[in-house]
Amino acid sequence: MRLLVVEDDNTIREFLTRALAESGFRVDACALGSQAEKLALEGVHDALVVDLTLPDMDGLELIQRLRAQGVSAPVLILSARRSVDERVIGLERGGDDYMTKPFAVAELQARLRALLRRSTPGQAETTKLRVADLEIDLIRREARRSGTEIQLTQQEFALLEYLCRNAGRVVTRAMVLDHVWKMRIDTSTNIVDVHIHRLRNKVDRDVERPLIRTIRGVGYLLRD
Amino acid sequence: MFSRVGSSFYRTAAWRLALRSTLVFAAGSAAVFFVMYILVARTVRERSDSWLMGESETLKQVALNTPRDALYDRIVEEVAELASQEVSYDGNGGHLAGNTVFFAQIGDVSHPPVWVGPTDSGKFLNAIASMKISQGAPVSLRIAGWPTPFRVVAVDMRPGEGRIYLGLLDSTAAHLLRQLLAWFFLGWVIMVAFGFLITLLGLRRMLKRVDAISGTAASIRPDDLSTRVPAGQQQDEVARLARTLNNMLDRISASVNQLRTLTDSVAHDLKSPITSVRGSLEIALSLEDREQSSDLVAGAIEHLDRLSEVITTSLDLAEADGGALRLRRETVDLSELVNRVAELYAPAFADRHQHLAVKTEPSVQVAADLSLCTRMLSNLMENELRYAGARAAVSVTVAAEEETACITVEDNGPGFSTELLPRVFQRFVKGAQSEGHGLGLAFVSAVAVVHGGRAVARNVPQGGAQITVELPQTAKTGSQPRQTADSLLSSE
Repeated sequence: MRLLVVEDDNTIREFLTRALAESGFRVDACALGSQAEKLALEGVHDALVVDLTLPDMDGLELIQRLRAQGVSAPVLILSARRSVDERVIGLERGGDDYMTKPFAVAELQARLRALLRRSTPGQAETTKLRVADLEIDLIRREARRSGTEIQLTQQEFALLEYLCRNAGRVVTRAMVLDHVWKMRIDTSTNIVDVHIHRLRNKVDRDVERPLIRTIRGVGYLLRD
Repeated sequence: MFSRVGSSFYRTAAWRLALRSTLVFAAGSAAVFFVMYILVARTVRERSDSWLMGESETLKQVALNTPRDALYDRIVEEVAELASQEVSYDGNGGHLAGNTVFFAQIGDVSHPPVWVGPTDSGKFLNAIASMKISQGAPVSLRIAGWPTPFRVVAVDMRPGEGRIYLGLLDSTAAHLLRQLLAWFFLGWVIMVAFGFLITLLGLRRMLKRVDAISGTAASIRPDDLSTRVPAGQQQDEVARLARTLNNMLDRISASVNQLRTLTDSVAHDLKSPITSVRGSLEIALSLEDREQSSDLVAGAIEHLDRLSEVITTSLDLAEADGGALRLRRETVDLSELVNRVAELYAPAFADRHQHLAVKTEPSVQVAADLSLCTRMLSNLMENELRYAGARAAVSVTVAAEEETACITVEDNGPGFSTELLPRVFQRFVKGAQSEGHGLGLAFVSAVAVVHGGRAVARNVPQGGAQITVELPQTAKTGSQPRQTADSLLSSE
């Protein structure tokens, strides 16, 4: 997977390049909208990460130009503005996504993966998820650990399902709030910790190998 | 020196206004005086005209009835003399200076004219000969050498017997009229002068107050906003202007003070976490033990997250205060949202052995910014978690009242301290034991206000704190926000 990062701030561009390269993407990076236009028109990128404020043009303008010239790769918009304005929301509806700075790298990776999944359709919807000896049935809404059923509330089940779907990847608190509780708010509260703690008490109780881990400062990870 | 003072004085509004109003006043009063003068003059003339008419008729009868003999001229002259004396002398027989009467009878060419009057009869007879006759009505006739015109009436005798003329120069009346004119003019000049002076002084006094206000206003410096313009005790426009300015200064000074508090608090709230982040990273760098250094780095990230939230909330609050916070309104079902937020927080309440009860009316809808409302509710919940105390009973109610939707959060905890209660929604105001930044409830209030509602805090009589957030309901909030909400929904 090859990405194009358009960001004028050197520090952010370098750290993005590094972080995305470490998670397995091939990354091209540039600081100017005009450079980005040239690179993107080569048509080799699977997704674009575009900062809204570029020195030579508005990020949205760049996207509109690319769309007009037939570039259909999904775009993830980065914005320093706190509330993302209507135009960006409009773009988001078109299949793209946005993130406001500061953001967690884990969330950036997750959103990029989601964008890339969306642009390559045809994946079958699974009905069962399995991680080590944890098995959850999405239709009957049941979870079992080593064959023993775990009694979960609806919220706990939704949380476990989200962790399982992202097994092996770190999810942030904001991602959990967004996907499980449908609340897209930035919060530094530890309210998600409370839920994770409860879930861990049920899923990882009296087992040798706990599955749910807390990555301090970032989020949570469900892994064998 | 004088010319400099003078020219600046002539540019003042007081001078211009006084001059303008005086000109209007002078023109108006001159017109009134003129009309009065015309009326008096006409009355005076009518009096002399009526005397002329009466006398001329008498003289005509005398002339007709007197036989045309040698004595005829003498008799007519005698009668005319008597008549002229009526107006030439006052009641006590004193001569009235200037009043002049003449009588003339001009018959056929053979008979010489009968003349009673001033001695220079030639001028009179010439003037009479060329005058236009208006039978029976007096006309004005100017005689060479006399200052004012005579009023002259001409009466025809029997055919062939000629015509008699009676003329009167009423100098007394003319003198009276001249005097009247002089007095009127004098009175007018004095009135106009006084009027101008009074207007000018009054205006100058008032505008001096305006000058004082502008002088004070100009002297106010950004670093000292405590000066106030002189308002005085009056209730007029200038006093109102002064009071308006003072109110404005109060508001500006409050804003500036708030800004100072803000910058102070921001400096504190930003510098403390930055210091601790920097310290953590510095230590992490020098540590050999990887697990310990990761711990420090993770702690630094958590600090940064909190910092980011403080910045976001501070900026939101500043924008809300300045009316610049942009709302993305959509139809929000408050009951559903409150239930969802309560569900999220329920385990946290349970962990602290607090009892959370939620009571919502079905489908209470508001046109609101979902993200702001969610954060507002989250803040209310955090507030209860922190301050209601262990084992407290917390209730959240959503109710629809006529045009407002009310969210009430109540607990049976210690309540707000009396010192805190009146300022609980102000920024950076927090309880003594609070570990927060004092932004949570300020944000709650700001969100309520930007949506056209309000937040009210009080202590309930049986003990405990109560916060009510009132938001205008969708159904009654006019079409604008609803349309936006509908269009958002339909395009999804």
